[in-house]
Amino acid sequence: MTFSLLHATDFADRLLYKIIPPLKAGMIVLADRYAYTAFARDATRGVDRQWVRDLYSFAVRPDLALYFRVPIDVSVDRLMARRVKLKFYEAGMDLGWSANPLESFRLFQGKVLDEYDELVQEFGMEVIDARGSITDQQRLVRSVILQHLNLNHVETTDDELV
Amino acid sequence: MTSSSDQSNEGATGNGHAGRYYGQGIAYLPLNSYPGKLIAVEGTDGVGRSTQIQLLREWLEVKGYGVVETGWTRSELMQPTIELAKSSNTLNKLTFVLLYATDFADRLEKEIIPALKAGFIVLSDRYIFTALARAGVRGVDRQWLRSLYGFAIAPHMVFYLNIDVKTLIGRVLESRGMDFWESGMDLKHGDDIYDSFRTYQQKLLKEYASMGDEFSFRTLDARRSIDRIQEELRRQVSAFLEPAEKIPDSVSAMAKS
Repeated sequence: MTFSLLHATDFADRLLYKIIPPLKAGMIVLADRYAYTAFARDATRGVDRQWVRDLYSFAVRPDLALYFRVPIDVSVDRLMARRVKLKFYEAGMDLGWSANPLESFRLFQGKVLDEYDELVQEFGMEVIDARGSITDQQRLVRSVILQHLNLNHVETTDDELV
Repeated sequence: MTSSSDQSNEGATGNGHAGRYYGQGIAYLPLNSYPGKLIAVEGTDGVGRSTQIQLLREWLEVKGYGVVETGWTRSELMQPTIELAKSSNTLNKLTFVLLYATDFADRLEKEIIPALKAGFIVLSDRYIFTALARAGVRGVDRQWLRSLYGFAIAPHMVFYLNIDVKTLIGRVLESRGMDFWESGMDLKHGDDIYDSFRTYQQKLLKEYASMGDEFSFRTLDARRSIDRIQEELRRQVSAFLEPAEKIPDSVSAMAKS
């Protein structure tokens, strides 16, 4: 619970200072993770799903939500190639499912991925196949964004100088 | 963001079942009719809660009960953060509410539930009602707040120390003086701390009073002397903890007939 509430506090702070002001100014805000991360992680930790959704009801619903989907093996391989040590909470070590960080990571993140699959349905997220190369993914992302966003409509503010 | 925000009946509302969660609760911490009892003492800043709790605790311990105290923002995890946030100017009403909720969740999991499980009487100096009142006054959605605190346990008894602003002002000035937050200076009612305290506490008292029926407060008149209030507290607590004490009356009545 405290894990969930601390993240919500951090999110509320960023929402009010970093997200809402640029939106009001007509800018595009790119959020690396959003409330969906909390929905997936907290549910995996046994926090009530409806409660987390109600908790985040103060969040702005994004115009577009992208979900980069990878199988757990690809995720593990990528992490292993980059660094040796898995973070305690990222591996869900707090849940005590396994004393082995890698094993714990597989179990925990595997369940987190299952939760994400449910969220894709519930919130109509756009799924990006993240197994491909960075270039392929980026091309896909750009085409999805172009469909959702008429870039010509983004206002260029040219208030008169005083 | 909610997919179905109309499940309003799942939050902290109503009397609940004493000793059970108000709402869905904490799924990974099921409550199995624990032997302990949770008694909350509520009331605004400076009303005399701590004094009453201290006296109640001594009395209960003399009677042989194990007593654990818990109080607002006293969680080890959150106290330093909350103090830091209060001393800077970065808090807004939402992060304020969420920090309090985190503190409460930490104490619930680490202090209150384990103590109830072990059969202690938990005396809570303030409970979720302080959070509901403070946030309510600051314009946070009341339904959202009740849903947020759906993980709280409904206390076995909630005592509310009721007072009027005039008496409160006298007491606060006699003791420690007016404090920035207790005067609601963040609400910017004006630069004058006296006026701000008065306006803010008036609103808080109204907010507390409006929850009386909803959460079955046992309201006590806090303008009376410390001893009179304590007497009333002990009478009600003892009637709740030891209903068996009444038996001797009926036994003697039976003996007479």
